[in-house]
Amino acid sequence: MKVIARAALLVASSLAAIIVLGPLLWALSTSLKSDNHIFAVPPRWIPDEPTLVHFRRLLAEGVHWSFLNSTIYALGAVAAAVLVGAVAGYALVRYPVFGKRALLVLFMGVMAIPGYALLLPTQIAFVKLGLFDTRLALPILYAAHVMPFAVWMTRAHFAGVPRELEQAALVDGYSRLEAVWKVILPGARPALLSAAAFGFLYSWNDYITATTMLESPDLRTLPVALIFFQGFHGRDWGALMAGVVVATLPPVVLFLVFRRYLIGGFAEGSVKG
Amino acid sequence: MTVVPIKLAGASARSIEQAARASRRVGTALVGPAVAVIVAVHIVPAFIGFYSSLRRIFFFADEGFVGLSNFSALFSDPITWQAIGRSLAFTFGALALAVPLALLAALAVRELGPRGRLLLTILLVPWAMSPIVVALLWKWILLPSPGGLFASILAVFGIPPVNLLSDPAWAMPTVIAVAVWRTFAFAAIILSAGLGQIPKDLYRAASVDGLSVVERFTKITLPLLAPSILIVLSMLTISYFNEVQVIIGLTSGGPIRSTTTLGYQLYITGFVELDQGRGNAIAVVMFLINLLLIVGYIQLLGGRKGGEA
Repeated sequence: MKVIARAALLVASSLAAIIVLGPLLWALSTSLKSDNHIFAVPPRWIPDEPTLVHFRRLLAEGVHWSFLNSTIYALGAVAAAVLVGAVAGYALVRYPVFGKRALLVLFMGVMAIPGYALLLPTQIAFVKLGLFDTRLALPILYAAHVMPFAVWMTRAHFAGVPRELEQAALVDGYSRLEAVWKVILPGARPALLSAAAFGFLYSWNDYITATTMLESPDLRTLPVALIFFQGFHGRDWGALMAGVVVATLPPVVLFLVFRRYLIGGFAEGSVKG
Repeated sequence: MTVVPIKLAGASARSIEQAARASRRVGTALVGPAVAVIVAVHIVPAFIGFYSSLRRIFFFADEGFVGLSNFSALFSDPITWQAIGRSLAFTFGALALAVPLALLAALAVRELGPRGRLLLTILLVPWAMSPIVVALLWKWILLPSPGGLFASILAVFGIPPVNLLSDPAWAMPTVIAVAVWRTFAFAAIILSAGLGQIPKDLYRAASVDGLSVVERFTKITLPLLAPSILIVLSMLTISYFNEVQVIIGLTSGGPIRSTTTLGYQLYITGFVELDQGRGNAIAVVMFLINLLLIVGYIQLLGGRKGGEA
């Protein structure tokens, strides 16, 4: 009975893994096939004569510039969100702050309400402020969307670093900034990494904010560029799947590298919360 | 630790008060930038949205105050009620699929031990992907052509290719399945953490008492996991209710509006047709529904915790 249950568990788990990874491998396989092999019946998982022609096609269309835009926007947003968020998280733990309870509710509430319903008024405001269709639009919005999460994560970790450690560093003649740098930041590393990784995934993977805040082709992010490419060449599945591969590799690699912090961050948050 | 008392030993009451005030100033200054960003990007737009919903705005041109006429036009339009119905179908359909799957995955992850961590990592890969890219990928897989992956799996069972995404009966279930494919494992993180919190002794005692596997699940696992399940339900409800990218990518609300949820209607009205007064009225309605959902779940969660303590 036990052996059967164990076998059933392994079979079910493998099946789940196949359903999850199969589509990704299929996209990779398609992206490496030449056009006359893509629709082969029955389908072949391993391309007969692998080719990079679809990736070259994307380069010819200038998709690498969108890749660069996505990278810059995401990194800028992450840097701003984690820096400003961690400073706020630290202050909320270590300093008396005017209206602290209300601020905590504000950060928490903003995290719960999704940004999508606010996108239309944001667009109107950005048009008025001259931020619409500029390089600053997305980093600002992504940073603001990720920041409450960064505050919340870092605050929980700063609270876990004993105050005595920091005071000992002050007594040893370190300045407050040095004490934070040498004692507090290393202690909060998991929180910083988890906020940064989550922020990158959020920014890199967004489509709806990018497509509603930008118009110029040279400001486009990768997902927006892919949807435009699909609009013009909807049947070019090889190139589209090459785009899917290119758009998927960075976040998936990042997830695999930082999975401990990402999974840990959300698991901890839910157990404590 | 005696560090603080030593430092303050010689200080008069007045200088302590000054120090406290200075420290409060520093604290507020450090939190300030984050609060400013939150207010500028979350609170101000909420007010602009409400204000704009009371005005007639087309193509960014404000034609003046119209009272609640955007709302009355919205609610007297059967299309709105249809979209609300589609939103409910999407949200609760996705929940009904995602939560049991996540629970099964979490149980498997716990049961498998170290290999469970590998399983969780694999299941989470789609969660790291962009929703619109996921939509593009599944469009290719579901392509009703003999060379399509889904069609060739059907062919093994002798079924001819079907176009799920252009069939009014199948489009919604398909969109739901793709959205759940991307997101269910995220819920499994939280459920698996919740399972880890259940004391192992309880299960040992239960098997001594002769409880069956099913009884152990319904009498120990489910009741003790209830707080985690509530967290998962609340996070997923809000995220599915606001899902729009997978719908844009897969069906564009079609066929014959069968996947036009309230969120997609907002996208079309506000961003494509640029009827921004009415679009903001939809946004206000969505915002209020979100608020209701959040308050409702906080009540449920808070009530639970109070009851147990």
